[in-house]
Amino acid sequence: MADVSPSKSLIKGVIKLTLFLGVGFAVLFILNRVLSAPTEDGYRFFPVIGSRVWVWIIAQLHLNFAAFVLGVPIFAVSMEFMSWRRNDERLDRIAYDFTKLFTLAYTLTAAVGTILLISLPVLYPKFIDHLMKILGPTWWVYVLVMYVETLVCYYYFYSWRQMKGSKKGTHVAIGGLLNIMGITMLLITSSWVGYMTTPNPHGVSETGELINRWQAIKSYMWIPLSLHRLFANVVFGAGIAAAYAAYRFITAETDEQRAYYDWMGYTSAMISIGFSLILPGIGYLLGVEIYSFNEQMGIQLMGGFFAWLWVMQAILIGAILMFVNYYLWISLNKMPGGERYFKYVKYLFIVNLLGYAVWLTPHSIALSLEEARRMGAYHPVLGSLGVMASKNTAVVVSYMATFLSFTIFKISNKEPIVSWAKLGHTIRAAVIVLSTAAAIAIGIYSYMVTSAVRVKVLSPIQFGIFFLSIIILFVLDTMMYKGAIVIGEPRWGKMPERSQYALIGITVTFTWLMAMMGYMRSGGRQFWHVYGIVKDTSPDAYLPTHGYAAVVSSIVTVIFFALIGLLFWSIMKLEKVADKGGAQT
Amino acid sequence: MMKIYPIIAAIGLLITVVSVLKKSPFFNFLGLLTLIYGLLKSVGLVTAPFPAQVMTMYMAMSVFSLFIYFSIQESTFEALLEPVRAVLADDNKLILRVLIVFIALPLFAGYLTFDKVKPNYEPPVSARIVHPEPVSSIEFRGKPITIIGLENPLRKDAANMAGNLEAGKKIYYQNCFYCHGDDLDGRGHLALGFNPVPPPFRGTDTIAQLPESFVFWRIAKGWRGLPAGSTPWNSAMPSFEDFLTEDEIWKVTLFIYEATGNKPRS
Repeated sequence: MADVSPSKSLIKGVIKLTLFLGVGFAVLFILNRVLSAPTEDGYRFFPVIGSRVWVWIIAQLHLNFAAFVLGVPIFAVSMEFMSWRRNDERLDRIAYDFTKLFTLAYTLTAAVGTILLISLPVLYPKFIDHLMKILGPTWWVYVLVMYVETLVCYYYFYSWRQMKGSKKGTHVAIGGLLNIMGITMLLITSSWVGYMTTPNPHGVSETGELINRWQAIKSYMWIPLSLHRLFANVVFGAGIAAAYAAYRFITAETDEQRAYYDWMGYTSAMISIGFSLILPGIGYLLGVEIYSFNEQMGIQLMGGFFAWLWVMQAILIGAILMFVNYYLWISLNKMPGGERYFKYVKYLFIVNLLGYAVWLTPHSIALSLEEARRMGAYHPVLGSLGVMASKNTAVVVSYMATFLSFTIFKISNKEPIVSWAKLGHTIRAAVIVLSTAAAIAIGIYSYMVTSAVRVKVLSPIQFGIFFLSIIILFVLDTMMYKGAIVIGEPRWGKMPERSQYALIGITVTFTWLMAMMGYMRSGGRQFWHVYGIVKDTSPDAYLPTHGYAAVVSSIVTVIFFALIGLLFWSIMKLEKVADKGGAQT
Repeated sequence: MMKIYPIIAAIGLLITVVSVLKKSPFFNFLGLLTLIYGLLKSVGLVTAPFPAQVMTMYMAMSVFSLFIYFSIQESTFEALLEPVRAVLADDNKLILRVLIVFIALPLFAGYLTFDKVKPNYEPPVSARIVHPEPVSSIEFRGKPITIIGLENPLRKDAANMAGNLEAGKKIYYQNCFYCHGDDLDGRGHLALGFNPVPPPFRGTDTIAQLPESFVFWRIAKGWRGLPAGSTPWNSAMPSFEDFLTEDEIWKVTLFIYEATGNKPRS
């Protein structure tokens, strides 16, 4: 695997990518000749499951892999940078392992991408013609960037061992270039989706004629969507890496392997959750842009037909937070001195449970006739819990509890030696109590103000308080535990297997959530290919039920994890082959 | 029937306390679930009961979260599973095993089957969408009106505000109060004849969440104007464009916000 020379790897990358593109275009050419002409309004029909479901599955699979191969390099390079500056071999190993993962995933990403490349023009020729008319040049830039990215990726991976030591800085810079390419690709693809959902009237006319290409690219949701995807990719990529580590932990044969994969799983999971803290804020920005584009679409997504998906999102994110907290609490068992902190776990659990309950309380409820009669328009209790004021408060308090779980894990094997340690503990308690009280007070006050004040002023203040608090707590702990007595090093690898299933649970839940949210974003267009410009006149021009969408999302998630399992298996097999051959992978 | 739930909660509490004293995580787990179930169902004694769908969600969350909690420490987790393992494997638990496997589980499966297939004359449960998405534009008595971004023109007329509010009040009591109530609380004389009952205008979760253009659209078009995406949506709201002028609808809109102390979403 890694014994290919960097120059040969470049040739390998070019051949592979050209092969995929070549096969894609050839099949496209043949299918266009062989298949019957599209219908008058520009559709062909995929057998049995229909064109929409086929493209839905392939597009979501491609997006999952793309998210993985764009997200993982960000923290792989960050790890390598830290390993280079700190001269830490363990960080270098984890960075290399991450790189191994995404380099191998490139092939699967390209394969699924090729299927999508064939499917879209064959099944939706008229719509793709329109996209090419408006955004065609961006496609060619995309292909160019894809080549550069693949070459950089292969070179980055295969030059790892050759560029150790004095050339490490250059290697890190190559990793930086890889990420720049990745972000450029993300911006290009987001411009396509952004155009389809929130087309800029300065870029294209109502009849679908191009006015200004740059304006067409610069749609309402382009930048917020790109940012949301960028951070979500890191969360997702780190989650997959955590699942990989968990899988390797469970199948490990030696204590050394268990210790390493335990540490890898912990590091990946914390990166994933750390970055996920930013997502609600960017998602909020995305929502604002959608409302700015079209209030009708905004209401439909937030409070109308799709309102139920937010409840499902709450159920899933609440489950993720529970898994994360569980993993951290169980990790106290491996920390010498961790038993001192078990007394706090039950309180953190109660806070998380209450937060979870409020967060998942629906505002739109499925009711029987009898229940509707007894309840009236709104349930007196649920009606007050299922709204933004209480949910934002619950989210902030749950995140705060999760951060505290992380904090107690970090400090559980240390004893501060600074003279002001007692004062430090008091300050920490005060920050926690005051910030939580402030978040709850603002939440209660949110019921009494106009929605504009709640949305534009109070909600940002609540999240601001949370971020300010965790920054204060982080700085305080860094100062307080500087030079602290270490009771004992973490016993990496001394974790029960069930803790690893929590890591896998986080990733599976996140993947399923991505599929459901992707459906929602796409469903916001309703019966339009390009909202308000190109109408969907196919037989699929209706919104499926949430249950149907959930089934399709589940199928995508199962296929994705089957392929990811294949990837993990391939890595392990290649490692075994390399071990037998004496080469280091 | 409702009065049984506090008793269930009390039994749950008792099991919880005893299991804590006896150090039995398994019964602690069951006790807490029983307590939570009893408490949630007891809500029905003081206000409308929680709908079945919400109960299912809360209970599923409780089972998941409590299982997480009881499996943090190895000793607790082992003790949690111990009674289950004992019933499944211990020789001296043979009778209990037979009772559970051959009596209790078939009875439970039979009950579930019966519950599923028994004749039911209730209409199916339907999901409600609280705020249907508004249309972009409407035709009001033949005149096209763009709804998105539309503002109440009377708000700019500060000089006649009192008069417009008074007129809106009169329109409200002539047309709306029969269903939406004397106190704008959704409890009009006819309210209970509808399902769902008419929404209240008081509180923070109806008109306070909406721009006035939305309220104008709902009054003007009623149930007939609801978008396809909102179905199934039960509404008996008449199309008031048949009875009121554009100006009158804006006046009554002004009044319902003013009378409830709400401000339109901007």
